[in-house]
Amino acid sequence: MLTVKQNLKEVLTGGNPDRFVKQFEFMQMIMSVPSCRIKPAIGEEVVNEWGVTIRWPEGQLGSFPVHDADHILLKDITKWRDYVKAPNVVFPAEAWEKAIADAKAVDHDNQYVTAFIAPGVFELTHYLMGMEDALMSFYEEPEAMAELIDYITEFELAYAKELVTYLKPEVIFHHDDWGSQISTFLSPAMFEEFFLPAYKKIYGFYKENGVELIVHHSDSYAATLVPYMIEMGIDIWQGVMTTNDIPNMINEYGGQITFMGGVHSGVIDHPDWTKEQVEEEFTRACRECGKLYFIPGACQGMGVSSFPGVYEASDAAIDKMSKEMF
Amino acid sequence: MSKIQEVKAKVEIGKTKLVPGLVQEALDEGNAPGEILQAMVDSMSVVGEKFSSGEIFVPEMLIAAKAMAKGVDVLRPLLAGDTSASLGTCIIGTVAGDLHDIGKNLVSMMIESAGFTIVDLGVDVPAERFVEAIKENENVTLVACSGLLTTTMPALKEAVQTIKASGLDVKVIVGGAPVTPEYAAEIGADGFAPDAGSAAVKAKEMVA
Ligand code: B12
Repeated sequence: MLTVKQNLKEVLTGGNPDRFVKQFEFMQMIMSVPSCRIKPAIGEEVVNEWGVTIRWPEGQLGSFPVHDADHILLKDITKWRDYVKAPNVVFPAEAWEKAIADAKAVDHDNQYVTAFIAPGVFELTHYLMGMEDALMSFYEEPEAMAELIDYITEFELAYAKELVTYLKPEVIFHHDDWGSQISTFLSPAMFEEFFLPAYKKIYGFYKENGVELIVHHSDSYAATLVPYMIEMGIDIWQGVMTTNDIPNMINEYGGQITFMGGVHSGVIDHPDWTKEQVEEEFTRACRECGKLYFIPGACQGMGVSSFPGVYEASDAAIDKMSKEMF
Repeated sequence: MSKIQEVKAKVEIGKTKLVPGLVQEALDEGNAPGEILQAMVDSMSVVGEKFSSGEIFVPEMLIAAKAMAKGVDVLRPLLAGDTSASLGTCIIGTVAGDLHDIGKNLVSMMIESAGFTIVDLGVDVPAERFVEAIKENENVTLVACSGLLTTTMPALKEAVQTIKASGLDVKVIVGGAPVTPEYAAEIGADGFAPDAGSAAVKAKEMVA
């Protein structure tokens, strides 16, 4: 039997895997890294490291940036320098000790030391100024928007430098949601203009500094962006929704990129979830997408489920499909 | 190109800075305010169709709606009291427990540009709040409920059923990524649309 890592490599290179890769099994996220992220607990409101107000009201599934007139951080994109101040990313060596120890303890035959990065460059633009203003600014103030994206990119690179110095991650798991279920937020042309250069720098830097794999999360439609994903150095696109026609993308781009997902979290991960429904979904996904350039998984951006048991049931359903198909 | 056609063309491509001036020029040429408004409504339905078919994206739709709004600002003093373009008031909101509003806002803009007066209740709107708003506002013909989370689908159902149970004479349209036409029918909604462009078309049909 191949190790988890060997098996993953076979899937990525179109070789001979002996089973399906099970969701996030190959990534060990090192969450003990020093970070500047300030997050609210349930029922709390905080002002985060960028100055964005984040609220998590009681009884809600998750937290939310507050963008009403009183709270919005970036009020005028043309004056972004007056409002936006990137947080500090430099921490003393001692602050990295725990993360370095956690990285050492990883089962290196089966797992990669993984750094988790969120929000992404696009997400940060709409965290700062609200989604609508952000999207309109690409048209109305493209120069200012390009400058802001450069600034965010430099911030990411500064943190990347710290990460590769201290943690030395082998995999980067990076979030940035680029679309809704049925379309991308930006046209491919606009995406190419604003985000391809930024991500080429960021992912290029990681690749030049010892990172083996870039796993990018966008649980959305983004089939039209795959050529750019390949160009910027993404090895695995995680969160691929079925609205993308995954089998077709595998035919077209397999060998250059691998697709991870194929099962919508919304469909299987709810209070009334059942083992049968989970199995049905993974059976469909595995049969449709096949053994190569595909990693079955729910589209959620982390190796967990919202409702207890669903993630484990998904792993079990994948094991079942491995027995059947390999 | 006539001034009115120019207004139409510039709204379609979201020239927010040019449209107000062009609307003024169209007025100066002697065009009726209602006619100019209609031209802008028409361009927004083109925008809606292009969005539905995937030819344009959210930013293009947002700036087109903003361009139209700026044009309407010029017309507003002249249109006051003229309700001929109005299809009635539409109450819109995202249901209880759900804070997503991008889709709802787009739907709101498109329904408004189709000729409805919009009352936006925002996000996390309890079922009873929709009913109160129907009573508080004049000539409410339509209620639009948005839900983006599978976990708030029961809240969507509750909103529709509370509105229906109130006995008030309004139509209810629902939508949001996890909502299917079947689910909309099952919970008793009068209409469903998959995106903002078709929401405007459907809304018009429903109150006709
Ligand atoms: C952007 C986004 C956010 C933004 C929202 C910003 C905002 N102001 O709305 C932020 C980052 C803040 C956010 C937060 C959260 N999100 Co969110 N988010 C998304 C994302 C990426 C896109 C949604 C969106 O705006 N789409 C663009 C618009 C244009 O499309 P749309 O909303 O579908 O609307 C169109 C149609 O549906 C329709 N429509 C919509 N409403 C209506 C109404 C009517 C009447 C009609 C006719 C039509 C209609 O027309 C619209 C226009 O064409 C989706 C993922 C996805 N792929 O969809 C997740 C997603 C919806 N979020 C999700 C989650 C879980 C959350 C959080 C809980 C996460 C967290 N913080 O941990 C919180 C929510 C807290 C809460 N209680 O609501 C999940 C929901 C999963 C589920 N179980 O259903 C999704 C699916 C991501 C995922 N797979 O995990 N999110």
